[in-house]
Amino acid sequence: MKKKPVTCKEVFNHICENLDEKMDSPRCREIRRHLDRCPNCVAYLDSLKKTIRLYRAYPQPRLPEKARKKFRTELKAQLSSIQRVK
Amino acid sequence: MTRSKEDSFDERSLIAKAKSGDERAFTALVNRYEDLVYSFSLKICRDQEKAEETLQDTFVNVFRKLRQFDGRSKFSTWLYRIVSNNCLMKQRRRKAEEVTVSIDEPTGFHEGDDSEVGGALAQTIPSWVDSPLDRMMTRELRVLLDEAIEKLPMDCRVVFVLRDIEGKSAEETARILGLSVPAVKSRLRRARVFLREQLTEYMTS
Repeated sequence: MKKKPVTCKEVFNHICENLDEKMDSPRCREIRRHLDRCPNCVAYLDSLKKTIRLYRAYPQPRLPEKARKKFRTELKAQLSSIQRVK
Repeated sequence: MTRSKEDSFDERSLIAKAKSGDERAFTALVNRYEDLVYSFSLKICRDQEKAEETLQDTFVNVFRKLRQFDGRSKFSTWLYRIVSNNCLMKQRRRKAEEVTVSIDEPTGFHEGDDSEVGGALAQTIPSWVDSPLDRMMTRELRVLLDEAIEKLPMDCRVVFVLRDIEGKSAEETARILGLSVPAVKSRLRRARVFLREQLTEYMTS
């Protein structure tokens, strides 16, 4: 029986799970072949990669100095009280 | 000795000293990891006050449980686990107040697996804008990115942050969260599909 070709749905699910992993299994090769001739799946893959890149590029504020001082002072006090109970 | 080997030797020695009650060694561990813990907490909690609270709770837990750390995993892996558990626990307490969103699998395909077109796309996927990231990162987009990730259920959000923002492998994410690799992949798929969907209108207009 002739094997059914990979569908867009399978490609979507596969790339959503395995986007940044090695794609060298026979199934992955089939998916790559599908991507070579399916502009829709290529557009989906591109948009997924961009979603991740945007979140990676989102600037993360560092621990503010005032909060760092407060944290260290409170932690010291909390640890002392734990040690006293011990 | 290479720099990373030196660091890891230094870290093992700090942990051993801290376990035996050396306060300076414990403080050195806190100073070394406070930024990582805060930044990871903030990425999950999306709220400065909650991230500061998690930072405090995490190191109190580390202090209490350090003797249980057996060194088989990396110290940072152990920290990620404590932070994740802490955030998941807090979220469970707040759950009643939160509005839950349903997360769909990718949609828009022809029905049926047996037909000629079954599983093929029933629509055209529009291309997303292509500009340098620093030029794209406007205030409007940042708000959108925040709103989208805040809507994600915490179990999917933690996986997305660990895998796609912190760059951990599926295996390490599974170890941190005490999940199987297939469970990590399933949550990651739902998170990626949902976030992409939330950004589509903005990125195609």
